[in-house]
Amino acid sequence: MQSSYATLLSLIVFLPAAGGLALAFFPREKTDAMKMFTLLVTAAVFLLSVVMALPGDGGGWQFDAAVSEMQKVFSISWIPSFNIYYFMGVDGISFPLVVLTTFITMLSMAASWTIDKHVKAYCILFLVLETGVLGVFLALDFFLFYVFWEVMLLPMYFLIGVWGGPRREYAAIKFFLYTLLGGVLMLIAILILYFASDLTLLSKDQLIAAHVVSPALAAEEQDAQVAEIKNSAGAVHTFNILALQQLGQHTDAFDGIILGKSLQWWAFLLLLIGFVIKVPSVPLHTWLPDAHVEAPTPISMILAGILLKLGGYGIIRICYPICPHAGYDLAYFVCALGAVSMVYGALAALAQKDFKRLVAYSSVSHMGYVVLGIGVWTAVADYQFNPDAWKLGMNGAMFQMIAHGLSSPGMFFLVGVIYDRVHHRNLDQFGGLFAKMPVYSGLAIGIFFAGLGLPGLCGFIGEVFVTLSVWKYSYGLAVVAASVVILTAAYILWTLQRVYLGPEYKGPHGDHLTPMTTRELAIAAPILAFAIILGVYPQAVFHYMTPSVNRTVDELAAWTEREEPAVAKTARSAPAGAADALAQDNSPEHAGDKRQLP
Amino acid sequence: MNLLTQPVGVSHYLIVGAILFVTGAVCMATKRNALGVLMGIELVLNGANVNFVAFGSDYLRPGVIGLGLDGQLIALFVIVLAAAEAAVALAITLNFYNNHSTVDVDRADELKG
Amino acid sequence: MDPVSTLPTLFGLAWLLPLVSFALIVLFGPRMGKAGIKAGYVATGAILASFVLSAFALFFVWLPNYDLPAEAHPATAESSAGGAHAGEVEHAAPREKPAITGDWYTLGQFGSLRITIGYYIDSLTVLMFVMVTFISTCIHFYSFGYMHEELEEVTDHEVTLPGGDHLRRRGRFHRFFQYLSLFCFSMLGLVIAGNVAMMFVFWELVGICSYFLIGFYIERRSACLAANKAFIVNRVGDFGMIVGMMIIFATLGTFAFGDVDADGDGTPEPGIFSQVRTPANHHALVVPDGMVKAAAVDKIAKGAEPTPENIQAWREQMEPGGIGRYAYWLWIVAGLGIFCGCVGKSAQFPLHVWLPDAMEGPTPVSALVHSATMVAAGVYLVGRFFPFFTPEVLVVIAIIGCITLFIAATIAITATDIKRVLAYSTVSQLGYMMLALGVGGWSAGMFHLITHAFFKSLLFMCSGSVIHAVHTNDMTKMGGLRHKMPWTAYTMLVGCLAIMGAGVPFAIGLSGHYSKDAILAQALSFKDANPRLGFLFYVAAGGAAITAFYMFRLWFMTFAGEPRDHHRYEHAHESPKVMYYPLVILAVMAIVTGWSIFGFGVQPLLEQARPAGILAEAQGVLWTGLVHPDEHLSHLEEFHVSSTWVATMTGLVGLFLAVVFYGVRMLDPAEVCNQFKPIYNFLMGKWYFDELYNIVFVQPLLFVARRVAEFDRQVIDGIIDGMALVTMIVAYVEDFIDRYFVDGFVNVFADWTYGIAVWFRGAETGRVRQYVMFIVVGTVVMFLLITFYLNYTFAGS
Repeated sequence: MQSSYATLLSLIVFLPAAGGLALAFFPREKTDAMKMFTLLVTAAVFLLSVVMALPGDGGGWQFDAAVSEMQKVFSISWIPSFNIYYFMGVDGISFPLVVLTTFITMLSMAASWTIDKHVKAYCILFLVLETGVLGVFLALDFFLFYVFWEVMLLPMYFLIGVWGGPRREYAAIKFFLYTLLGGVLMLIAILILYFASDLTLLSKDQLIAAHVVSPALAAEEQDAQVAEIKNSAGAVHTFNILALQQLGQHTDAFDGIILGKSLQWWAFLLLLIGFVIKVPSVPLHTWLPDAHVEAPTPISMILAGILLKLGGYGIIRICYPICPHAGYDLAYFVCALGAVSMVYGALAALAQKDFKRLVAYSSVSHMGYVVLGIGVWTAVADYQFNPDAWKLGMNGAMFQMIAHGLSSPGMFFLVGVIYDRVHHRNLDQFGGLFAKMPVYSGLAIGIFFAGLGLPGLCGFIGEVFVTLSVWKYSYGLAVVAASVVILTAAYILWTLQRVYLGPEYKGPHGDHLTPMTTRELAIAAPILAFAIILGVYPQAVFHYMTPSVNRTVDELAAWTEREEPAVAKTARSAPAGAADALAQDNSPEHAGDKRQLP
Repeated sequence: MNLLTQPVGVSHYLIVGAILFVTGAVCMATKRNALGVLMGIELVLNGANVNFVAFGSDYLRPGVIGLGLDGQLIALFVIVLAAAEAAVALAITLNFYNNHSTVDVDRADELKG
Repeated sequence: MDPVSTLPTLFGLAWLLPLVSFALIVLFGPRMGKAGIKAGYVATGAILASFVLSAFALFFVWLPNYDLPAEAHPATAESSAGGAHAGEVEHAAPREKPAITGDWYTLGQFGSLRITIGYYIDSLTVLMFVMVTFISTCIHFYSFGYMHEELEEVTDHEVTLPGGDHLRRRGRFHRFFQYLSLFCFSMLGLVIAGNVAMMFVFWELVGICSYFLIGFYIERRSACLAANKAFIVNRVGDFGMIVGMMIIFATLGTFAFGDVDADGDGTPEPGIFSQVRTPANHHALVVPDGMVKAAAVDKIAKGAEPTPENIQAWREQMEPGGIGRYAYWLWIVAGLGIFCGCVGKSAQFPLHVWLPDAMEGPTPVSALVHSATMVAAGVYLVGRFFPFFTPEVLVVIAIIGCITLFIAATIAITATDIKRVLAYSTVSQLGYMMLALGVGGWSAGMFHLITHAFFKSLLFMCSGSVIHAVHTNDMTKMGGLRHKMPWTAYTMLVGCLAIMGAGVPFAIGLSGHYSKDAILAQALSFKDANPRLGFLFYVAAGGAAITAFYMFRLWFMTFAGEPRDHHRYEHAHESPKVMYYPLVILAVMAIVTGWSIFGFGVQPLLEQARPAGILAEAQGVLWTGLVHPDEHLSHLEEFHVSSTWVATMTGLVGLFLAVVFYGVRMLDPAEVCNQFKPIYNFLMGKWYFDELYNIVFVQPLLFVARRVAEFDRQVIDGIIDGMALVTMIVAYVEDFIDRYFVDGFVNVFADWTYGIAVWFRGAETGRVRQYVMFIVVGTVVMFLLITFYLNYTFAGS
């Protein structure tokens, strides 16, 4: 079974890279064939992820939405001397992001048809980038995670630096340095955690839950392996993310003091900075507008649609579960970071003159919701141990990632469509596009409203869920978060007015404003369609996502109850047994029926 | 000890060899003509040959467990070598003459460092 | 038929039909017949079917199953309480009002927190459904006539291109009906909403429809600006609403109005209303447990158990700093937050500025969206949420309504744009409704909502008919039109009389007569209970006079007297039948809506929907002594009779003034204007709200935005670039060291080596003879050395 999973996940991750290798043998002048081949590869990967999404029992390749734990897990020894494994798996947190990645990558490849410079190199880098991103989402070994993280960085640098706009070198280097800084801080944190980790501290159940000892083995073999770990002379270090989570939540392995703070406090901070750069949150966001403005349209789509999600994913998957104590201490800081980004991004967007820059700042604002939603550490709700509001926030944040992953690439693509025609992005020199390109404008208004958070479109669900969850955590942040709706409406509507409405087009090359081509329509229409589907049927995503997200929250809530006496006392009347997060069943409603009226 | 009064022995041969060697060396050092230099080389080699033959001769050095026929063999070897060297040297000289219309070795200073 | 199962289906169907129509028009709009005319048929058919379904639901499902309460009439009210004061009245046992609640669809559920699409059907819902679908149907028909220009290529005379030409564009007939359908869907969704979250969803959707419809003429800059303004100003209100929603969700754990059995265990979970007014407590207002617990969070953290007894004890700590008081404040803030949304949507002071500008949209839109339905949604929400509001919040609502009605009425006096007069009139009437709700007149406010919807849409459609005929909005270019377009003129006269509240006291009157009477009576009753707030009544009464004045000013300027612009007058003509038939129908409705025939009518239906609970039981806590008299007290003779006389007389005063100024023109309005120049300018400037907001909010916001963008570029990027620069400088310094110190050392070493080599080179002369000499000399030297110095080395052998 493991080998079947290994085939499946490796295929998803490395099929693009293999395609890139095959591309190397294409004759230089067959550019259309290369693009078509790349598109086919991305489509094949997308199909694979769709196959996983089909309903099924989970025994085969189908993703089993009812399971909240990691599934399709396999582990192959890679560098034994450092306990590094080729260790992958997927759960409800990563799976929607994988599907989003394959989908958006496919669409942005279709949007790459206008690229005609060094096509071969472009396609190869593009595919390598996809491999890197998918690898990050699927890797469960911290070292592997880091490797994919860096693999993703380099193609992006070249894609911006070679195929970008006039200031591309500046933007590419800025992007590279920012992300590299994040990567280096992350590496430090990884090493801190690695050398502090010790598998011998974990019980047998925990070792099995972390897949250090494969659950698929027979009981005797498991016992033998556990005994082997337990009997080892010194500490057994590990890069296994699941094992690190167990260590962080159930042992004091990371509580050593260094420079006045615990190890995990430092690790959390370093990881957080690394991920927050990627999200990006104020004040580490300034690479984003420059990178977006200079990057070619398809790369902007990938950047906004997928790469930003890696930050949020990292916080959910790594920061909080591995360093819960630090997360608890710094929760307000994280939330404030999110709230500030929301307001700051929206205000900055309001003042932009460059269309793409405006969309880039809107990304900063929208991703602020993600950080805010992840951070609302309200394990105690209604004075019982009941993290429902937190679940609401974290699910909302995850949904917001998916929603933003649709709306933002859509917006960038639509900006690209007119840029291809008139070669400028000055907001003051548009107008009247509705009359000239009605279908395009219709799609654009739809997708921009999705960004605005209009009910019935995908942006609404995430924003409202996050906003509603905040009040329990902090009144002040809640009011700030709520006030962003005004600013968002202001900059989006103002933009629509300046670009699409009005009597006539005010800029140069007005005669080039031809209606959308079929190819462009085939890219934008699915995005809008999905924006509507997710807006009216959010269960399509929650179905896959909620069990795993709730499990994460439940584990952290259980940790809070064990470790934070002040909070635990408040929640004295919590249902018994909720403390043992691992032993509990994975039903999200285990803390249900909280309200009993007298 | 007067050599002139002694029966002919190794020492006499060695004196002849030394004279030949010195003559050859002086010839090499003083002649500007390449052919002359070559001749000097022949003299030097043959001076050495005389020594080899003398040392290797059972007749001249009876009772000495020595080289046996090795001296003669080496002399033959040197002659062959001298012939080969002469052939090469003459070819070089001819080439030199073709290029420079002279065989004056002082003109051939292109290997100067 | 079983109403519990039938009604949700019927209304669900009626609600979704316009959505189907919208989807069809979006997909196939331009291909529907010539210039998309069939899109109009589709949309009209859908809304007509919705109306039929709603009417069927009202007459064949609702009425047979739920008996209407006996009509609240002065006579009955008199007998029940003989001239007593609020507190002394004997109350009937609290009655359960019929309401059907449930969920259709879950958007998301986390633990016990649910966000759903559900329904809450009581007779108010039913009434609103019938009213909205009826008026919408009329307006759909009317739009066929009004929008027929859009069937061909349109020349927009309002838009001048830089070349001096007017803009020519393709007609957008289908798009108009597409938006109308979407709007109807959203509005009906808002009406049927079973919880606040769903209400908010459709709240936003009607907002966006309004945005599209106001900005229908996208080429006109003013239209785009008005659309933006409408949406953004509404969003300011929504901000407050979100805060209110957050409080409700966080403290009460539910969004549902009524009790819905969400987890399917057979016992419904209490909704907002039952938590605020628990049935166990006879629906009297108490601070809900959730809010008390939220207020006592510190205490609970210190170990206090949130048992029912403790909660009750905390609830009673009403002294400043006490838990109960804190909880009460939380409750007030939640109520004010929700009301904030209503202020935005219903264009109340201080967010009223968007509605007059919204008149940039086509007139049918103004008639439907900006008078009868969407702007009434705010009032509707206040009505829905009425059981939730504390007396303090209600007073705020009343005061806001009072300010609004006065400001808007004064501006309407001087406006010359026919639609703007009506727009300000709408704002003013919405103020009346808010005032009525705020002084406890629930049924009066909702009644006025219904009657106003009919006569105001009638008035707008009449004005549209006029505009259609003379192609201008400016009343100073009209006059005498009643000869040219009698149908329009006299239906509009009916509308004016209805809004003025004309009628024979105690006998019969137009619909506005009844609703305005009810409002004034309640305001009077409130004044009696709270003398300090008496100004509410006086302003309302004064407003009635102003209303009559500006409405008849409008009528006289438009239809009476001599034509002021003969060219336009000559070209004017009566509108086609498809336009004036709806006018006639609505005029009839404007007359009869207030009547109750055989116990059936709007008022009994509203009486049936009245929220459970008795107002007077709740007294102000922060504002002690504040009490809202129950509404049936306003039927007492001492209030009812005097308010009827006041309403009639103030209306007549206004009418008289209008006749004097504009009818028989005994006084010249221009002279009066000159006499009161400052006031006139102030009113013409619309109290300068737009300018004020521009200076106080818009410009500072843009300033901050620009500073933020600058901060980004200058400071943050400056720091980043500065760091890069520092790195570069360090790199240069290092480069210098490398070049001149490290490399220097290596180079010196190399130089030495080189020098030695050069020195040795001299030996290589290239002279063969010399080499021979070297060899010889060398050999000799070696020979000598070996012989004389190293002889010991060889001596061994």
